[in-house]
Amino acid sequence: MSSERLVKKLPNDIGGTGCSTDKVHIFERELYPWEKRCHALLDVLDYHKIINTEEKRRGTENIGSEMASQLSYYEKWIVSASNLLLQKGILTPDAIAVKTKEVAARFNVTL
Amino acid sequence: MNEHHHGHDHTDGHEHDHTPIVNEEKPGYYEILEISIRELLIEKGIIKADEVRKQIEVLDSRSPVLGSKLVVKAWLDPDFRVRLIHNGNAAAEEMGISIYDNTEFTILEDTPEVHHVIVCTLCSCYPRPILGLPPDWYKSKEYRARTVKEPRAVLAEFGTVISDDVQIVVQDSTASQRYMVLPLRPQGTENFTEAELESLVTRDTMIGVTIPRI
Amino acid sequence: MTMKIVDHKPALFKEGEKAKIAEKFPIGHYRVPMYVRGKTVLIVKNLGRHINPELEAFGKNAGDEEWYYQVTIPQKELWPDYEGKDDDLLEIEVFEPWLDPINNAL
Repeated sequence: MSSERLVKKLPNDIGGTGCSTDKVHIFERELYPWEKRCHALLDVLDYHKIINTEEKRRGTENIGSEMASQLSYYEKWIVSASNLLLQKGILTPDAIAVKTKEVAARFNVTL
Repeated sequence: MNEHHHGHDHTDGHEHDHTPIVNEEKPGYYEILEISIRELLIEKGIIKADEVRKQIEVLDSRSPVLGSKLVVKAWLDPDFRVRLIHNGNAAAEEMGISIYDNTEFTILEDTPEVHHVIVCTLCSCYPRPILGLPPDWYKSKEYRARTVKEPRAVLAEFGTVISDDVQIVVQDSTASQRYMVLPLRPQGTENFTEAELESLVTRDTMIGVTIPRI
Repeated sequence: MTMKIVDHKPALFKEGEKAKIAEKFPIGHYRVPMYVRGKTVLIVKNLGRHINPELEAFGKNAGDEEWYYQVTIPQKELWPDYEGKDDDLLEIEVFEPWLDPINNAL
C-alpha cells in the first residue's frame, strides 16, 4: 500500500473500518485529575479564543498515525495544545523543556 | 490507573501546595506536560489558575441527571417537548442549564417507527453541557468504527435488540450540533412519579445504545 | 428601518433535494469521513451558516461562513453487506463546499 493513504486519510477517520469481531469494550472510568485539568484547560483556552475546538482537533490528528494510535485521548489533547501554543508563538520549545524539567524535579521524577 | 493516595512525605525538601487539584501520586510524562503548560500560561498572564478550577466545577456540575430531567419533562409536557425539539439550547436554559460551548443542543426524537443512535466517528462530539463527559467506550475505536456500519450488532452488544420493523437512524456528529436521543416512554409507566421516570432514563438511553425499560 | 445587506450567496440546496458528496482529498483537516465520499445524499435540513471547519482548524475564528446541511444516506448504499432494515439511514452534517448538485456531479 502506498504511503499517500497516510497523507490523504486522517488517523481518526475510522468510520466503517474494523469488523464484527472487534467487540466494543463497554468500559468507563473516572478521569484522572490531570485529565480533568487538561479538559478544563482546553475549555478555558477555547473561551479566550486562543485555541478553538477545531484547532485542538487538528492538533490531535496531525501528530501522525503512530502517535495517534499510541497516545491516549487526553495525552493527545495536551500534546495538541502544546504544539498549537508553539505554532502561535505563545510558548517556545525551550520554555517547555525548562518548565517540564522543573516540574519533574518537584515530584522527584526523571524525564 | 493510580488511586489518589495521601501517603508521601516532605523529606525531599520541596514545599509544594496541596491544592485540591494536584494528584499526590508521581506524575507521568503527560501530567508533567499538562502542569507545565498550565503554569507557563498562568505565569504569562494568559490564563488565571482560578479559571481552570472554575471550569472543572462546571464540568463536574453536568451529568446525565440533567438529560433525564429534560427527557421526563418532555414526556409529561407536550408543549415543552415541542420547545425542546425546536430549540434545545433555549429549552435547556429554561431548566437552568447553560450551554457553555457554542454548540447547538439538538434532540433526536424516537418514535415507535424510528430509533436513533449517536456516534462521532471522527472524534468524540457529545452533549457535554447536558450529559457531562462521555464514557470511554463512546470514544473507542470499536464504537466509532462499527456503529455507523452495523448499528444493530453494536446495540446487541449493549443488550439492545431493535425490532426488524423499526428503522434505525445513526447520527454521525461532525459539526456543531450536539445530539441527545429523546427515547420512547415505556409502556406501563402511566402512574410513575417524575423521580421514577427519571430513573428509567439512563445515560445510555440518551445516546441510543439502550432503551428505557421498567 | 435599514435594509440588511446580505453579503453571502444563497443556499445552493433545498430540503428534499438530492446531492452528491464530492470525491476530493484535502490535506491537513477535514470533517467529511472517507466512508461517505462520493455518495448520493438527501438534504433533510438546512442547518444555517457556520465558519468552515477546515479554516477554523487553522485559526480562523470569524468570517468565511458556509451553508451546511443535515443529510441522509441509506445504509444499504454505504455498506454492501449491510444487515438491517432497508430504510435504515446514516445521518450526517456536511458543509456546502463538499456537496455537488446531482446533474453537474463530476
